[in-house]
Amino acid sequence: MMPLSEVYIGEQYRDSGWFGVFMTLLVAAFVLVNIRRARGGKDLYIRRIAGLNAIDEAIGRATEMGKPVLMVPGLSDTINAIAVQAVNIFAYVSRIAARFANPILLCCYNAAVYTYAQETIRDVYQSEGVADRYDPDSVRFVSDRQFAFAAGVSGLILREQTAATFFLGEFYAESLIFAETANSIGAIQVASSTETTQTPFFIAACDYVLIGDEFYAASAYLTRQPVLVGSLVGQDWSKLMIILMIVFGTILNTFEIQGKTTSERTKGVWSQIPERNKKQSDTFMSQLFKPQLEKVKVERPIDPNYVPEAEAAK
Amino acid sequence: MIPLLQAQAPATSFWSEAFNSSELWTKLIITLIVGLVVMVGLLYAPIRARKPIVAFFTFISGAYWVLLYLWPKPIDRQPGEMPLNTVETVSFWLADSNNVVVSFTQILTGFLLGLGIFSLLKIHLTKISKGHKDAFFSIVLLASMGLMIWFGYADWFDRLGERGAMLDNRDNWGFTQYGRDFLFEGLLQQMDAAMFSVIAFYILSAAYRAFRVRSVEATILLSAALLVLLSLMGAVSFVWDENVKAIANGNPFILNFQLTEVAQWIRNTFQTSSIRGIQFGVGLGALAMGLRLWLSLEKPGSGS
Repeated sequence: MMPLSEVYIGEQYRDSGWFGVFMTLLVAAFVLVNIRRARGGKDLYIRRIAGLNAIDEAIGRATEMGKPVLMVPGLSDTINAIAVQAVNIFAYVSRIAARFANPILLCCYNAAVYTYAQETIRDVYQSEGVADRYDPDSVRFVSDRQFAFAAGVSGLILREQTAATFFLGEFYAESLIFAETANSIGAIQVASSTETTQTPFFIAACDYVLIGDEFYAASAYLTRQPVLVGSLVGQDWSKLMIILMIVFGTILNTFEIQGKTTSERTKGVWSQIPERNKKQSDTFMSQLFKPQLEKVKVERPIDPNYVPEAEAAK
Repeated sequence: MIPLLQAQAPATSFWSEAFNSSELWTKLIITLIVGLVVMVGLLYAPIRARKPIVAFFTFISGAYWVLLYLWPKPIDRQPGEMPLNTVETVSFWLADSNNVVVSFTQILTGFLLGLGIFSLLKIHLTKISKGHKDAFFSIVLLASMGLMIWFGYADWFDRLGERGAMLDNRDNWGFTQYGRDFLFEGLLQQMDAAMFSVIAFYILSAAYRAFRVRSVEATILLSAALLVLLSLMGAVSFVWDENVKAIANGNPFILNFQLTEVAQWIRNTFQTSSIRGIQFGVGLGALAMGLRLWLSLEKPGSGS
């Protein structure tokens, strides 16, 4: 039975489980510290991102051709950080489009994202002083079924002959349907998927692709707001920390794996074994990243009102 | 969906009460009153106060998930057990609340779906009333939506009734069940499959453009893709590998040039590490974004 003092520790902190929690808190601290630095007037550098420079070019082209700009904030099942970030980028696109009186179309897969996008785009037109140019039907809910949505958006691309298309967010199998349909009518395309399996499809079919965290860097890059720039630098610090850990871990593992061992740790308990060559699971880094949890029993009082489900069903 | 207050026999959590008990009704009435007060308060709140109110509710909602992640989780918890101390009391409450908090999201999504349907109706009814050239498609869409909703609900009601169990057998089906089956399985699923199959053709045309030898990078991509494709063709990889084995004559270095070994090396060394690198970036970006949203540092539409 487990000692009472250990009950306080919590399942997620047992063995080396605390390390994951510690790393998460460290990343959060990096982000918050850098937001504070940026707010304090510190000049922070962001490298050039070609895909984001192309946004102005794409809208300019659409304006010259007098055709709409189409935006899709991905197929998030609910409103999450990815959908919010996509709509944030589309707010920038819509602002430029509003200035040039260029029509826009924003197609939503999820009803929650639809309401958020509608509010955001309406605010953009109002803040630009051209509220009369805002067409409430330009932000629309299409369908919450994957391929019905794909068919609906593809139909819109073909009927409206959009000059520029932006596919940013969570995309799955339908990514290539969108990208190839837009390509077939010669639309300039900027795309990004947080799903790594879909990024190659976008690279194959689109003009510009934001890879990985470039998607999250977009709003900081476009607006240079201190909060966003600081957060981006915090992410870079975190990446640097991860790179250092990978380098340190690689060197450490290379040396450790050469040696021999006479002890083995199974489910958090060390035991003596006959001498053998060290395995991957014996290394320090492996044990740090893979908590080994021994099954424990904690004695607790039973609720007097408790009725087991089987009895309750009778 | 899990009901907000589960009226079930094992009354072991804050969110569960016995069916028709006074505790259940008390909690329901308190929730209703608090809900109404909050709703009226929000309606009459001055415009300046709305931003801090939204920030407050965002913080409270996010704080639940942060607490759930950070607060010590109960170890070896069994049904019916009571907490040992204050730390466990909180952790039990957090764990029991999980289903309820998740169902809040589902309830909100349910309300918002109504807005989505309103958007669809508005766009397509306008098209029909103005005699737009594509009005026919709008009629088809609205008719399909209406029929699907009607047959879906009618079938659901039938299955709730006394005949419900009998309807598992196709011989007992009536007009409603055949109608629902035709619309859902016969039409919708087939059209979904048709759209999915279109991807195969798009892959071909996209691959043709991507794999043209235009630059050094494209040539490397083409070569790597070709090697991986060939390694997946059983006959080709068999002939290649057998020839390499014959040439190698046991030499371990030459054995590395077997097609399957080369393809595996490309996948393990380049593909996996690249994907992990991208995933690190995406994960960190999502964490930073979530933190900004939770603390209301991120304003809606801040991309502009």
